[in-house]
Amino acid sequence: MGIQTVKVVILKDGTVASRSKAFSGFEPTKAAEQAFEEALKNAKIPKKDVVQILATGSGMEMAPYANGTVSMMGADAKAGVFLFPSARTVIDIGAEEARAVKCDERGFMMDFVVNERCAAGAGTFIEAMARALEVKLEDMGPLSLKAERASPINASCVIFGESDVVTLIHRQESKPEIARAVFDAMADRVSSMVHRLGINLEVVLAGGVAKDVGFIESLKRNLGINLLIPEYPEYAGALGAALTAANRVKAAK
Amino acid sequence: MKSQGQERKYVPELPQKEAEELRNSAKTMSMKVMADNIQRMKKTAPNRPEAMQYFDDISNFFGQREKEIRAEKEKGKKVIGYFCTFAPIELILAADAIPVRVSSGFYDTSKLGDRIVPVEVCPVIRSTIGAKMVGLSPYLELSDAIISTLTCDGMTKLSEIMSDYKPILTMSPPRVKDSAQSLHLWSEEIKAVKAQIEEVTGNKITSKKLRAAIETMQKATKAFRRLQDLRKGNPVIMGRDAMLVNQTSMWDDIKRWTEKTEALCDELEKRVQQKAWACPPDTPRVLVTGTPMFWPDNWKVPTLIEEATPQGVLVADELCSSDRILYDPVGIDEWTMDDMLKGISERYLMASTCPCFTSKDGNEDRINWLLNKTKEFKVNGVIYYVVRGCMLYAMEYSRVKKALDRINIPVYYLDTEYTREDVGQLKTRVEAFLEMLTARVDF
Repeated sequence: MGIQTVKVVILKDGTVASRSKAFSGFEPTKAAEQAFEEALKNAKIPKKDVVQILATGSGMEMAPYANGTVSMMGADAKAGVFLFPSARTVIDIGAEEARAVKCDERGFMMDFVVNERCAAGAGTFIEAMARALEVKLEDMGPLSLKAERASPINASCVIFGESDVVTLIHRQESKPEIARAVFDAMADRVSSMVHRLGINLEVVLAGGVAKDVGFIESLKRNLGINLLIPEYPEYAGALGAALTAANRVKAAK
Repeated sequence: MKSQGQERKYVPELPQKEAEELRNSAKTMSMKVMADNIQRMKKTAPNRPEAMQYFDDISNFFGQREKEIRAEKEKGKKVIGYFCTFAPIELILAADAIPVRVSSGFYDTSKLGDRIVPVEVCPVIRSTIGAKMVGLSPYLELSDAIISTLTCDGMTKLSEIMSDYKPILTMSPPRVKDSAQSLHLWSEEIKAVKAQIEEVTGNKITSKKLRAAIETMQKATKAFRRLQDLRKGNPVIMGRDAMLVNQTSMWDDIKRWTEKTEALCDELEKRVQQKAWACPPDTPRVLVTGTPMFWPDNWKVPTLIEEATPQGVLVADELCSSDRILYDPVGIDEWTMDDMLKGISERYLMASTCPCFTSKDGNEDRINWLLNKTKEFKVNGVIYYVVRGCMLYAMEYSRVKKALDRINIPVYYLDTEYTREDVGQLKTRVEAFLEMLTARVDF
């Protein structure tokens, strides 16, 4: 139950049977119900066959149908190791929150760090800057890859970001260079957070922001390591919750 | 109320009407928070010990205890407040005075303190200043003098600011605890404050009275430790309840507190025999260490721990507002005045785990205390709690983490402020931490 989007993952016999998502909006519970119905339809599974449902994310208390909850960090750890058995650190960047968790080979959390105070380390920063640049959100990444350097921006606070853009355009900075600066600033924030936690290789990058090629490039450059990125990175939390649900069912038997 | 009729050096005059309005709204909020906390504690442990009722009553700042102290004052008794647990309680009791700790646990008054000092200053201090500005805290108001130990920068300047309102008896602990001269310096401070207490109260501290006071406090320590020992096994009392008992010792009549705590321990021992646990024995056992958490508003983190999904139980803490208060008794060889003062000096200096000290091995006493407690109380995880602005506790974190990493105990750094708004963020972290501990316990 993310702040911006609700994601659903259905696991059957240890593999992903279907995924779906919907915008949380003002009625996240309803959005979750709709997403769930869709996932059931896609998987061709009747509702009664779903034996355990767990919710995670900042809106997890508002989830419909849930038998319980699991923390986002716990879910990320489980998902990371499931998708990449060599994963020992999972970084999850969402719309408004960034997390990192260290885990062992079983996907058990060993330590974690959360940052929901700095919006410049999360997805809505890209949205805000895309608006300021008058560029489509999905074009920000490819645009930034064209730049060979990043414009100097006031990286201290995203609140100044949009007015920064105006100044930079007046100084004839190019849009690709400004876009790259946005991703570099984000990577800086995320990198500080991750270094507080400490890195154990291999590192998985998940969350909606992990779909953005611009951010991936900036973070790789900043951390100086390779990042494992799943095919559907925004579903990591939901996948982890489903895996935890499956474990609880197994443990109960 | 101005001190010695002088013009205030720090605090501007607050119009009386405004002060009254602020006090009333802060008081209403505090009463709500106190009632709410108790209700939630009752909800978490439906079979809460009956003996807790007494402590619930005494925990009300605006209730029975305030009336008692007022009545004693009318008979001529003096009240001596104090901020840090370096104030020698035995000397206050021996002078027939009433000791009360007056550090503020009110969130709302910290915003008032912001008018006088920057927001970066320790919130406990800002809250204390704000509480005095509107006269919120009954015990602070009733104090005839305040012993202020200049432990940290904030405390040093707080003493000055509070001197606008009350006579302040300062005590300067040495920064280095174990040098040849440090105990000597502290002993001189103890002697000086003894004379000041005698002056404020108009009573001489005789050997006989001091002995009686020391023995009273030794009995209190015995009861205090008995309660803590009962938390070493399966959880027979929830951490918040034990913490409330600990805290009330800071303002209650200490003899009565001792009796009531012994009665509580009797009740708890029966429960141990009946195996009537306050929560499931496999609940993750948490220890909190760090800056003090004062009743009522600072029940925030213990409440999160014990109401979380999955639930945790606070089995011990290293807080000068709880498990550290009465932990160490004064040890006496000979009941002479000199020996008694020596015993008091040693107890208040050497036993302290406060990070305001350093020694040959840094704050080794604190590390050792934590390591011992972690073993004795079979702690699964430690929450390192720091209020924003506290350099001393913040800077000791890396050492504590290393020490606990070495014995494979997870530590989580939780920093917060005197605000109710960050409960959501704290909840995320606390629940993830407890989830982590649960998985380890299961495995």
